[in-house]
Amino acid sequence: MKLRGIGVGAMMYGLGYGYARPDFSATDIELAPDGTVTIWNGASELGQGLTTLLCQLVAQELGIPYEDTFIISADTGRTPDAGPVSASRSTYVQGNSAIKACRDLKGPLSELAGELLKVDPDRLIYKDGLVQDQEDPNRSISFHNLAGEMHKRGRRVRGSGYHNITTADVDPETSQGDAYASYAWASQLAEVEVDTEMGLVTVLRLASATDAGKAINPKMVEGQIEGGAVQGLGFALMEEMKVEQGEFKNAKLSTYLIPTAADVPMVEPLIVEVFDPTGPYGAKGVAEPATIPTAPTIFNAITNATGKRVRSTPASPERVLRLLGKLEEEEEETQLTFEDMPYPEP
Amino acid sequence: MTGDKQALQKEKLIVGTPQTLRETDFDPVGKSVVRKDVIPKVTGKAIYAGDLHMPGMLIGKVLLSAQPHALIKGIDISAAAAVPGVKAVLTAQDIPGENVFGIAIPDQQVLADRKVRFIGEPVAVVAAEDAFAAEQAVSKIRVEYEPLPAVFNPIDGLKPGAPLVHEKGNILYHTKVRKGNIEKGFDEASVIVENIYRTAGQDHAPIEPEAGFSWIDAEGVLNVFTSTQYAFRDRRQIAVVLNLPMNRVRVANMTMGGGFGRKDDVTTEILVALLAWKTGRPVRLVYTRHEAMLTQTHRHPTYVRVRTGANKEGRLTAMEGVIYGDTGAYSSLGIFVIKKMALHLGGPYYYPNYKSDSFSVYTNNPIYGPFRGFGVLQAAVSHEGQIDELAEKLGMDPLEFRLKNCLRPGLSFSTGQVMTEACGIGATLERLQQYMVENGLSFERPQEVSA
Repeated sequence: MKLRGIGVGAMMYGLGYGYARPDFSATDIELAPDGTVTIWNGASELGQGLTTLLCQLVAQELGIPYEDTFIISADTGRTPDAGPVSASRSTYVQGNSAIKACRDLKGPLSELAGELLKVDPDRLIYKDGLVQDQEDPNRSISFHNLAGEMHKRGRRVRGSGYHNITTADVDPETSQGDAYASYAWASQLAEVEVDTEMGLVTVLRLASATDAGKAINPKMVEGQIEGGAVQGLGFALMEEMKVEQGEFKNAKLSTYLIPTAADVPMVEPLIVEVFDPTGPYGAKGVAEPATIPTAPTIFNAITNATGKRVRSTPASPERVLRLLGKLEEEEEETQLTFEDMPYPEP
Repeated sequence: MTGDKQALQKEKLIVGTPQTLRETDFDPVGKSVVRKDVIPKVTGKAIYAGDLHMPGMLIGKVLLSAQPHALIKGIDISAAAAVPGVKAVLTAQDIPGENVFGIAIPDQQVLADRKVRFIGEPVAVVAAEDAFAAEQAVSKIRVEYEPLPAVFNPIDGLKPGAPLVHEKGNILYHTKVRKGNIEKGFDEASVIVENIYRTAGQDHAPIEPEAGFSWIDAEGVLNVFTSTQYAFRDRRQIAVVLNLPMNRVRVANMTMGGGFGRKDDVTTEILVALLAWKTGRPVRLVYTRHEAMLTQTHRHPTYVRVRTGANKEGRLTAMEGVIYGDTGAYSSLGIFVIKKMALHLGGPYYYPNYKSDSFSVYTNNPIYGPFRGFGVLQAAVSHEGQIDELAEKLGMDPLEFRLKNCLRPGLSFSTGQVMTEACGIGATLERLQQYMVENGLSFERPQEVSA
C-alpha cells in the first residue's frame, strides 16, 4: 500500500556567532583609471556565490556595471581578514563591509566630482554609470571619466570598509541576553509517499519558504534553497554515520548514502522578503535556514500519511517498517528512557 | 568604452558577447546576474588545491590512528624511511612549535603524542617523490598501541566512573537557558507532550575532499594554497605549530568544491606546511574520500528529551528540555554548536517559560563540529515534532497552530531577546498557506493512492 501525506516545519536561526565571539568583516576596493573596480575581501568563495554578491553590491553602490567589478578573495597575502565563512553570516557581514568600502571611496570621489561640477558633494548620486546632481540631472560626469580625473590629480582611489556585529555574551547561568545580531526564518512543506510494504519514503514535493530579507541575487538564493533541501532530505531519509566502538563503519560513499538526482523531488523555492534594516539592502543569510527545517517537515508528512511519528533520524526503510509494526526487533536507541535523561535541577 | 557609451548602455536591453548575453547589469541588486566564478567552473579551467603542482613537488600521505583510545608506546619509522623516494616521515616529536590546534579551544593534537583519542586521528605524515612511495611508507610505519577503556556515547560519558577522554573530564560545556517560571508554565498547560528525539551523525560530503599545497618562496615565506573557509585562522594555527611569526605564513584559498562547515577549521593545512618546512620542497597533500571521512569533523549526533505544554486556547505555555551532544574526541566547535542548540530548542515560537540544558560531551567517537545548521538543525527535529503533536492533540491545523504561536516583533526569544521588525517567521508560514491554496493541498484528504 502507498500512503501520501503532507507536513510542514519551521525554524529560526541566530545569524552569526553570538556570545562575544569575534564577528567582523573587512573589504578594500580600488578604482582603476578606466573606471573598473577591484575588490579585496578575505572571505572564501565556497560555491555559495559570495564573490558574485559582493560585486553586485559594489556595482550597485557605485552605479557602475556589474561586469566592471573584479574580486580577489581569501588570501592572507593580499586581502584583509574578513572573518570565517560560516554561520550564514557572509551576505550580512561581508555585504555590509563592501558597502562601507564603497562609501569610503565615495568621499574623495564626490569631492572631486563636486569641484568639477560645481555642486555640493552631498547632492551627488551614483547611478547608471554617472555621478550626477540629484537636483539637476544635467550636471553629471561619467564614472569612467571621473576615475581618470582622480588618477590624474593624485586623489585617493582606495576605500576600506569594516563591519563588526560582535555581540555581548549572554548570562552564563541563564543565557539571557541579546544573543545574536539578527535572526533568519524559514518554513517548509513536504508531500511524501510511503510504501508501507517496503518502508520506502519518496518525497514528491518540497516547498521552501525562506526569508532572504532581500534577495540580492534570486537565482543564488534559489540555489541555496534547492541545495539545502537536498542536504536536508539526505539527513531525513538516508544519511547516517554508523559508528560502532568508535569506528565509522560506512566511511565510504559506496556505503554512506547521499541523495542522487533520482532522489530529489520538485523543490519549489518560495523567496520571502522581510526587510532587515541592519542587512545590506535589507538582506540576510539563507544558507543554513534553507536546510534546517527539511527533515522534520518530511517527518511530519510521514505522520500525516501513516499516523506514526518519526523521532530518530534517518527515516530509513527499516525504521519506517518498525514504526508501522512490520519489523519485530527494536532498535537499541529506542531503549533510552526518560530516566536515562533527567532534567537538570533548576 | 567611453563614458558616454557607458551612459547609453542602460538604454539597451542586452549587452555583452553571445557567451554572456544578459540584461544590462546596472543596478544589479535583486537581479540574477551571471556568477563571477561560473565560467572557469563550467569550462573546467578552475584550479583546485589538488590540481597544483611545481617542479620538485613531493606527495604527502597521512597515517591515521586505528584505535579509538590508546596509549602510543612506540612508533617505528625505520622501514618507512627506507622506502626509496621517501623524503620525510614525521611524528609528534618533529613538530618545531606547539603540537596543538583547535577552532575554539586548542585541545587537538596535530600528530598524536603519547595518546590517540579516536579512529582517524593523524599519527604520522609522510612526504615522498610519488604517491606510490608515500603509500608504501605509510603502510610500513609500526605503531605500538596500548588500548585504554573508551566511551562511545555522551550519556555514558557523563556517568560516574566513565573513561576520561581528556584529563579535565568529559563535559566540554554545559549550557543553561532559564526564562520565566517553568513550573507555572506547565501548571497553565492543558496539553503536554514529552518525547525523546535522536539525530544521527552526518557527513558533510563536500564534492571536493580536503586538499593542500605548500612551498617556501624566495623571501622564505611559507605558502599554503588550500581549500578553506577561513584562511586567516589557518595561518595563525600553522604559525604556532611551526614556530614562525604569523606574517611569514601565507594562506590562500583556491577554488573550492564546497565546505558546509567541514573546512572551517584546519584540515590538511598544518600537515602539508609541516612537510614543506621540513623537506624544503613543495608538497601536495590530498585526502582520499575515506581518509577525509575518518579524520575530519561531522554533524553532532544528539539525544534530546523535551516536554512542551499548551493551554486550551492553543497557546504555548512552557518548554523544558535536556540535550546530550556527542562532540567526539576533540571540541572543534562543540561548545557553540550544542550551546546554540539549547537556545534554539523551542524553535521560532514564543514561550513565556523556557528551560533547557545542553551538555556537549567528549567521547572516543570521530570528531563532530560545525555543519550547515549548527545544532539548530538537530533542534528542529525536536521542536517541529513537538509542535506538530501538540497541534494534533489540540485538534488544530498545523499551520494555524504555528502562526498562532510564532514569534512576532516585540515578543522574546528563549534568551529574552526581543524580536525586531525583521522577524519573518509569520511571513514564511503565510507563504506556505498561500502555496497550499494555489496547489489545492490540504492536511485532510484521501491518503491512500494505491493498494
